[in-house]
Amino acid sequence: MSQSLLINPSAFEAGLEAIFAARSTTNEAQAAAFARFVKLRLPNRKVEGWKWSDISAATRKLAPENAPESAQIIAPTPFAALDPIECRIVNGRIELPAEPAAEGFRCGLSDPVATIPELETHPVAALNVALTGKALEMEIAEGVSFGRPILIRHINTGVGFSFAQTVLRVGAGVRAALIETYEGDGAGFYSHLFHTVARDGAVLERYVLHDTGPDSIVHAICAAKVDGAARFDQTSLSTGGRLARHETHVHYWDPKSAGRINSAALLCGERHNDFTTEVLHLGEDCATRQLHKGVAADRGRNVFQGKFHVKRGAQKTDAQMAANALLLSETAEANHKPELEIYADDVECAHGSAVGALDEDALFYLRQRGLDEHEARALLVDAFVGEVVDGVENEIVREVFHARVNAWLENV
Amino acid sequence: MLKIDDLHVAVGDAEILKGLTLEVPTGEVHALMGPNGSGKSTLSHAVAGRDDYEIASGSVTLDGEDLLALDPNERAAKGLFLSFQHPMEIPGVQTMNLIRTALNAQKKARGEEEVSAADFIRTIREKARLVGLDDAKLKRPFNVGFSGGEKKRMEMLQLAMFEPRFAIMDETDSGLDIDALKMVGEVVNALRGPDRGFLVITHYQRLLEYIKPDRVHVLAGGRIVKSGGARLAHELEKSGYEQFIEAA
Repeated sequence: MSQSLLINPSAFEAGLEAIFAARSTTNEAQAAAFARFVKLRLPNRKVEGWKWSDISAATRKLAPENAPESAQIIAPTPFAALDPIECRIVNGRIELPAEPAAEGFRCGLSDPVATIPELETHPVAALNVALTGKALEMEIAEGVSFGRPILIRHINTGVGFSFAQTVLRVGAGVRAALIETYEGDGAGFYSHLFHTVARDGAVLERYVLHDTGPDSIVHAICAAKVDGAARFDQTSLSTGGRLARHETHVHYWDPKSAGRINSAALLCGERHNDFTTEVLHLGEDCATRQLHKGVAADRGRNVFQGKFHVKRGAQKTDAQMAANALLLSETAEANHKPELEIYADDVECAHGSAVGALDEDALFYLRQRGLDEHEARALLVDAFVGEVVDGVENEIVREVFHARVNAWLENV
Repeated sequence: MLKIDDLHVAVGDAEILKGLTLEVPTGEVHALMGPNGSGKSTLSHAVAGRDDYEIASGSVTLDGEDLLALDPNERAAKGLFLSFQHPMEIPGVQTMNLIRTALNAQKKARGEEEVSAADFIRTIREKARLVGLDDAKLKRPFNVGFSGGEKKRMEMLQLAMFEPRFAIMDETDSGLDIDALKMVGEVVNALRGPDRGFLVITHYQRLLEYIKPDRVHVLAGGRIVKSGGARLAHELEKSGYEQFIEAA
């Protein structure tokens, strides 16, 4: 191998470079992306935006190798009742749906994106672009009535690293649902970059259920371009991992677009979850609603970073953000950073954040009514995250999320 | 019988109850009156089992059973009910769901069969009418956005649903209008019987016009300083608590 471009790389970074150098299919865009990564490196806590989620430290001791080709038995999905079109990405390898796709829906493999302009300075996005083999590309044609949801199961086992990209184009006027699950007991690093476009008047509902083992390190980026009068509604539920970070970047380029970005995290043991979001309002009269609820027990750590940008021309923007965390132990942590950056003068924007413990008066009230301590605490925690889960419009998704919350409460 | 003997209770460094002794036989309604800060609410919370109230000494038994050895939920399952002076709002929990969960938790602890959804809904609707709460309130998050009076009606609804062996009513009359006071009287009088006792805590004689007590006790300085019949409440209304504060 030629001389390392990385200065003082960690074993993990050196492994990434070795894999990159050994690849035969690398194109110019990927070489450029790796060159960007060489400059940016895996971010550590000294980098703004990463101070609570030090991915450099988390990956330092990982085996610097490709994740294995897995032969593990894959459990049935809890979303089976929705009869979804199911794709799997197992340790970065894409498995297309077994059945022929529905009319108006195209699904196949393509070359990875050259770059996402808004994420050019993003170190993990650059790494993902450089190291992804093939991307899963999906398209729903304009005006197609599309009843079945798309399910993408990201399954990780073993150690090592893996990379994947998915693209979904939602045609004008289409209403579509995408469910993504992060699963498996892997202890490696998994990077996923999802890029979606919702054309004029389309509605894309995205649901994310992150339910991996305690040693997983997952970094997922969703970059959504929302065209005129289109909607992007996302609800995420995560039980975290050694380090789980779900980034959502929503960009409204045209007037009257809207979005909802809700999330809940349930963290026990030493689990860590980071919901980082950025909503860019460029068109007039766009609306965003964002609600985050984090619950951390034991030494769990809840990270929320939310930013609304409102550019000069984006008058009549209506954007509201609330992020609340509940700490169930003295060693649990919540780090929240809600931000507004506004350059237009006729807007309604607000953000708020609160971190607290369970209300002792409410606990005593419930116990006086007959609930034991565990039941009373569970009821209050369930009510706390319920605001996010109850907002899910799809009944089956809502039930699956509720069941996951209840299972978590049983064990915490 | 609720029997409290020489009870000393501290909150933080302050001793609030200083040797309180009180007996309320089953089948009777006793009123506990006293000035602000005399320890009335401390008594109700300590008997119900709030853990930041430190029981320094003394005993509390219900029909001979030691309540102080039990968790708050175990006391509830034994039939102790506290109507809170300041009922909680529980956002995100539907009222009917909370009351049914609580009722079934008590039944389960007593080894009784849980109430079916259909029976529960029929009963709670009936009793909600009795306390003046409409059906829509039962579907809302518990007490959220309710007025002070509605929250007290919700306490009375739970009293009627749980049918406890012994109920402590902590200033249920505070903030109530005449109609609501009358309703409280009706609920308590309907539940009065040989198998149930009540301790009605109040500042004023007003509520006692609707609930005729068998005995009246005056709490001042952390002790019962006087006990008597229903007439004692009338006397207090005229003379005030000053004499007791001075004596305490």
